[in-house]
Amino acid sequence: MIILETRSLKYTYPDGTAAVQGINIEIKKGKKIAFVGQNGSGKSTLFLLLNGTLKPQEGEILFHGAPFKYDSKSLREIRKSVGIVFQNSDDQIFAPTVYQDVAFGPANLGYSKERVDACVQHALEHVGLSRLKDKPPHHLSGGQKKRVAIAGVMAMEPEVIILDEPLSNLDPVGADEIMDLLNEFNHFGSTIIISTHDVDLAYRWSDYVYLMSNSKLIGQGTPAEVFKEQELLKKAGLRQPTTLEIYHEIERRGLAYGKNSPKTIPDLVNTLKPLDLMWVEVPPGVREGDNLNLGVMYGEYATQSPYEAINATVLHIHPDGRAIVELKRKGIKAGGVLLYDTDNYSLPEVRQIITEGEIAFVGAMGKKSKTLAEQDGIRLDVTTGVIDKSILMALCGKRCLILTAGGMVDHALKRTREYVEKSGIEFTVGVVNREGGCKWLEETDEKSGALKI
Amino acid sequence: MTNILDDYALMSPLRHKNNWLKLTIVLFGLLVGVSSTSPITPLFIALCMSFTTVALGRAPLKLYLKLLLAPVGFAFTGVVIIAFFSGSGQEILSFELAGYPFSVKADGLELALLVLSRSLSGMCCLYFLSLTTPMIELFAVLKASRLPESLIELSMLIYRYIFVFLDMAMSIKYAQTVRLGYSNFRRSLSSIGMLGSTLFIRSWEQGDKLFLAMNSRCYDGKMTLFEVNRPVRAVELLLTSAYFLSALALFYFTKNISIV
Repeated sequence: MIILETRSLKYTYPDGTAAVQGINIEIKKGKKIAFVGQNGSGKSTLFLLLNGTLKPQEGEILFHGAPFKYDSKSLREIRKSVGIVFQNSDDQIFAPTVYQDVAFGPANLGYSKERVDACVQHALEHVGLSRLKDKPPHHLSGGQKKRVAIAGVMAMEPEVIILDEPLSNLDPVGADEIMDLLNEFNHFGSTIIISTHDVDLAYRWSDYVYLMSNSKLIGQGTPAEVFKEQELLKKAGLRQPTTLEIYHEIERRGLAYGKNSPKTIPDLVNTLKPLDLMWVEVPPGVREGDNLNLGVMYGEYATQSPYEAINATVLHIHPDGRAIVELKRKGIKAGGVLLYDTDNYSLPEVRQIITEGEIAFVGAMGKKSKTLAEQDGIRLDVTTGVIDKSILMALCGKRCLILTAGGMVDHALKRTREYVEKSGIEFTVGVVNREGGCKWLEETDEKSGALKI
Repeated sequence: MTNILDDYALMSPLRHKNNWLKLTIVLFGLLVGVSSTSPITPLFIALCMSFTTVALGRAPLKLYLKLLLAPVGFAFTGVVIIAFFSGSGQEILSFELAGYPFSVKADGLELALLVLSRSLSGMCCLYFLSLTTPMIELFAVLKASRLPESLIELSMLIYRYIFVFLDMAMSIKYAQTVRLGYSNFRRSLSSIGMLGSTLFIRSWEQGDKLFLAMNSRCYDGKMTLFEVNRPVRAVELLLTSAYFLSALALFYFTKNISIV
């Protein structure tokens, strides 16, 4: 479903600078959209147009199929539905306390005092700032200010949230927290639009990318499509995402194969797996193309997890009775990524899971879970890029526990499952403390026999 | 970060007490202190208020004394002059300096002590307010006192942007200093001029941005201010009444007493 649409949009500033020229976009509901371009390519102006703050000289903008009207009542509706977070938080936060700033939007919508209060509490809890609600903004750090700005927009419950350069001036941890937040909102159905010149971010985060240059749209598509086009990127004054660049270099040297455009580091690592070939002595009668069950291997023969059940396809039989086979491995006791929903948190349970479930690696996603872990002295191995790092650890046969809450549980589950599906490398994935969740205790190993090769 | 009085008020545990109660206490202290005829009552008030500010309000003692030093210094010079040049009656102290006779008389000393104690009590009352009640708490009070809405909204916005511009001014000043903008007097003058003009232009731009930000959150010409309800607890009421009563009793019994 298309939620926002523009038709040959044009805007020129009073001083004659053309900021947006002939832009046609269609933004689908529930997607993560990134506008990528250099500074001054017209992204910010486009955002102000989408929010009804600026009125285009030509063209029109449609919200849910109906063109924008610029009378004050319609504008209110649009601004309620399309929230915008500015690049500089100080431009946006103007009330003397955090609470009053977040309450500004809901109060303007004419809500009752109780409803405003509920909205504000909810929004602040979401961004993890409930404790700071009586603080003045000048006592907050950059990341906290950003979260206040986001809470101020969230409190109005918009359908589309537009963020202009959401990660500028943030440290890596702060940036990661903001992206976690955005993913969570997206999971609950909000459409998220960001502008950025960080190609790595746009490439790994977004569902759809618009490339802008000199106030024009010069390319669009899924991140994999857009960032493949070297010429286009050059025209936009951008470079390729690092992951993609590394992948291309490895591919050129024949060290990687198969996968198209890895987005994350686990994806990239996965492409490094060469065709798994091996010399095997086969009994007479086996022909090329047959499948062999080689049984369970361990030690140096098991490359991806401690124990592997291996099937092989015979590719070529040598006259002396030996054959080249392609191996297909399936980990038996591979690592796993276990998720723990901190909405139903109990410290003894977590401790039990960590000790008895042989958890080697603990991570936390989201402010709430991190705070919980900190309070209760649970040692966290990782707090940023948690999903990626956990997958990498799981690939090395370790078991990881991720503490997280709310929509991020499903987001993490989805991401990890996708990886398992795409890579074909099996490891345990699941939410441990949920109805029908996965077991966290190891099932006892079947006696695994090794096969003589 | 700059530490201004407001920052201490924000951290004070008394911040979360009822604003009206605090205002009443201050007003009471000011009125009784000024109308007292003996120096004992104002001194009592000053002592009580200082104790409350430092012990209950957790204002750092060192800072508090430093803050008091400035007005007390002023008051003291005035008081010395009063002591020497006013009053009549018994001479307490007299000496000659370079041929001029100087003498302190009983009445003069009495008056001087009264002035000193009154100004001290007034200062302590005001510091109690400013060290326990940050500006953001006072907006609700302003609103309840029926001041025009636009005035309150303006003061809220001004309060917020004071800090933005303070930061801005400091970073500009730093940028100027590292490029030797303050190396001699003439350069300092021109640098400070540039700082002022840049700040003016920036604040102009900030106004535009502010309007944009407010508009995009459905601003309709009214900023709603939510007052936090802070009921007065029984203990607080009891303590306050005890303080009021003892101050009044002292006021009554000391009205004809002279200490000199």
